[in-house]
Amino acid sequence: MIEYDEIDRRMVLKLVYYGPALSGKTTNLLVLHDLLEREGRGDLMVLDTKDDRTIFFDLLPFFISAPSGLKIKVKVYTVPGQVNHDATRKAVLQRADGVAFIADSRIAERENNVESFSNLEKNLEIVGLDIEKLPLVIQFNKRDLPGIIPEEDIRSVWSPTGIPVFMASALEKRGVIETFGRLAEMTFDSIDRRYGLQENHGLDKAAFLEKLSLSAQRA
Amino acid sequence: MKDPARPDTLEFVVGSEKKLRDLLNEQEVLPLLKGAVRAGASGVMISDAADAVMWEHGTSVNSPLYAVQPFSLEGETIGKITVSGSDGNENYLKGLLCLLTDVVQTMLHNNLKRMLTTEMHTRVVNQSYEELLKSNSLLAVSEAKYRELAENLEKKVQERTDELKQAHARLLQQEKIASIGQLAAGVAHEINNPLGFIASNINTLQKYIGKYREMTEYYQSEISRIPQTARMQTAAEQKWKELKLDLISADIDDLIRQSLQGAERVKKIVSDLKGFSHIDEGQEAVIDINEEIDRTLNVLTHEIPRDAEIIRDYHPLPGFVCNPALICQAFLNIILNALQARREGLRFVISTDMRDNAIIVRFSDNGPGIPELIRSRIFDPFYTTKDVGKGTGMGLTVTYESITAYHGTIEVESEPGTGATFTVRLPLREN
Repeated sequence: MIEYDEIDRRMVLKLVYYGPALSGKTTNLLVLHDLLEREGRGDLMVLDTKDDRTIFFDLLPFFISAPSGLKIKVKVYTVPGQVNHDATRKAVLQRADGVAFIADSRIAERENNVESFSNLEKNLEIVGLDIEKLPLVIQFNKRDLPGIIPEEDIRSVWSPTGIPVFMASALEKRGVIETFGRLAEMTFDSIDRRYGLQENHGLDKAAFLEKLSLSAQRA
Repeated sequence: MKDPARPDTLEFVVGSEKKLRDLLNEQEVLPLLKGAVRAGASGVMISDAADAVMWEHGTSVNSPLYAVQPFSLEGETIGKITVSGSDGNENYLKGLLCLLTDVVQTMLHNNLKRMLTTEMHTRVVNQSYEELLKSNSLLAVSEAKYRELAENLEKKVQERTDELKQAHARLLQQEKIASIGQLAAGVAHEINNPLGFIASNINTLQKYIGKYREMTEYYQSEISRIPQTARMQTAAEQKWKELKLDLISADIDDLIRQSLQGAERVKKIVSDLKGFSHIDEGQEAVIDINEEIDRTLNVLTHEIPRDAEIIRDYHPLPGFVCNPALICQAFLNIILNALQARREGLRFVISTDMRDNAIIVRFSDNGPGIPELIRSRIFDPFYTTKDVGKGTGMGLTVTYESITAYHGTIEVESEPGTGATFTVRLPLREN
C-alpha cells in the first residue's frame, strides 16, 4: 500500500503488471483504459519509452469512494520487462498490493517467462513482500498467435500452485478484464482483511468491483 | 530500502502521492497569471483542492464577474483556477480561463512526468552506484590479494627452492649413507674372512716356532755333552752367529705379537665401520649417544692430527630413539669440521649432558672460528668456504637436517680467533 491516511480518509493502492519483455503489459493497460468507463478512472500515463519499449513504467489510476467517505485510489503500474531494468522493477514493485504476471504464450518464450517469474520471486523478497500472501494472478497472453503452449499444459503446471491463470489476447481485447477483475477481487479481500473495508467503511466487494467498472463487463 | 550505512540514499516509493505545491512553483505560475491580467482580467488565482489560495495576481475584490475551472492530476481534481473581470467581458474571460487551465494542466502533467522519471532515474543511478561501489570494493580486495601474491612470489619461489634443495640434499645423503653402509658391509665381510685365518695362522705359527726353538735348544745342549764334537760345536756357533739367530729369535716374539695386534686392530676398525654405518640395523633403534660419538671418533682416527687433544666430558645419558646412521652422520660432520679447522695444536672438547628432558651435546674447538658474516649461512646447502672440489657444502646441511628431523636444534657460537662451539639439543620423545 502506497498510502493510508485515516484523518484525510484516503487510501492509495498499487497493482503491478509484471512479466518478461514484450509480453504485452502496456497493451493490457491500454485495453483496460479503452474498455473501462471514463468515470472513476484517470488517464493512462505512459512514461518515456524508447522504440516502443517501456523503460520506466506506465500508470493507470482508478478512483473509488466508500460509503464512509474513504477515498481509494488504485494505481496500476507496468514494469519494464527487459533484464537490464531490474532496478526500476524493484522500485515499482515496492509496496505493491497485488501483482499480475503477464506471460508470453509462445513456446519460444518459455525460458523468458521462467526467468522473469524467478526475477519476480527474487525482487518480492528483496522489497519485503511475501509471495504466498500477496494477491497474484497469471495471464498467458498472445493466445491469438501460432506456436503457443497448449492451455492444458499451462493449467497442469499452474493449477497445483493455486494461482489463478487466465488465457488472453490483449490485442483482441480478450482476457484482459478477467485478469484485472480477479486481481482486483483478491486485492479487495486482502485489504478488507487488514482494514475492514466492509465493516468500517461499508464497502463490499461487489461495490468495489462495480466502482472499478468491472461488474458490467464481467457479467 | 533505506541503507543505514548511506543516510543520503534517496528513499522514494514509485506512486507516492504528489501535492500541487510539489508540482508547480511560483516562477512558472506567476508569469502566467500576470499575462492573464495583462490580457484583460482584473484578477486571477489558483487554489488547491481544499480551496486554499496558492497563487494570485490582480484584484478579485469587487469584481462582479468571475469564472472557475478545475484542473486534475492523474484524473483527480487537484485545484482550480478563478478568473475575475468586469461586466461585458464574460466570453472573453471564459476563453482566457480555458486557455489558462489547459496550460496549467499541461504544465502539471509534464512536471509530474519529469519528476517521476528523474526520481526513478536518480534511484536507479544511486542503486547502480551502490552496486558499483560494492563490486569495486570486492575488486579492490581481490586486487590486493593478487598484488600480495605477486610481491611474495619471488620469496615463495626462493623458499620452495630452498626446501627442494634441502630435500635433495637429504636424499643424496641418505643414498650416500646407504652406499657407505653397503660398501662397509661388503668390505667387512671380505676382510673378516682372511683376517680370521691370518690371526689363527699366526697363532699356530707361534706354536710351531716354539717347537723349532725347543728342538734347536735340545740340539745345542746335547752336542755340548759329547767331547768328540768340539769342532762341530765351534762351527755351529760360528753359523749361529753368522745367521744372527740370537737377534732373530728375540725379534720373532715381537713380530708375532705385533702381527696379532695389527690383525686385532683391523678387526676393530672393520667392526666400527660396520657399527657406524648401522647397516645391520633397521630404521629406528635406541642408542647411547656417548657410545655413538666414540664410535664416530674411532672411524675418524686417521683424520685426527697426532698432537690433537681430544677431551671427552661425558655424562650418563638415557637411550635415544632414532635412526642411528643419521645421528652418527650428523656428529661426524661436526667433528670433521673441527678436525679440519686446525691441523696443529687442536684442542677439541666434546661434552654431553641432560637438561630439561633433552640431550645436550657440545663440540668446542680452538680453531679460527666462524666469521659472523657467514654464520647464518653455514647450514645452507652447497655453501662452503673450501676450495672448489674440496668440500661439498653439504656437511653441516646434513647435520642440520638430521637434527631437525628429530625436533632438535643446533646452534653455533663463535668468537673469531678463539674457536667455535656447536650445541646440539635433542629432546627426548614422550613415548
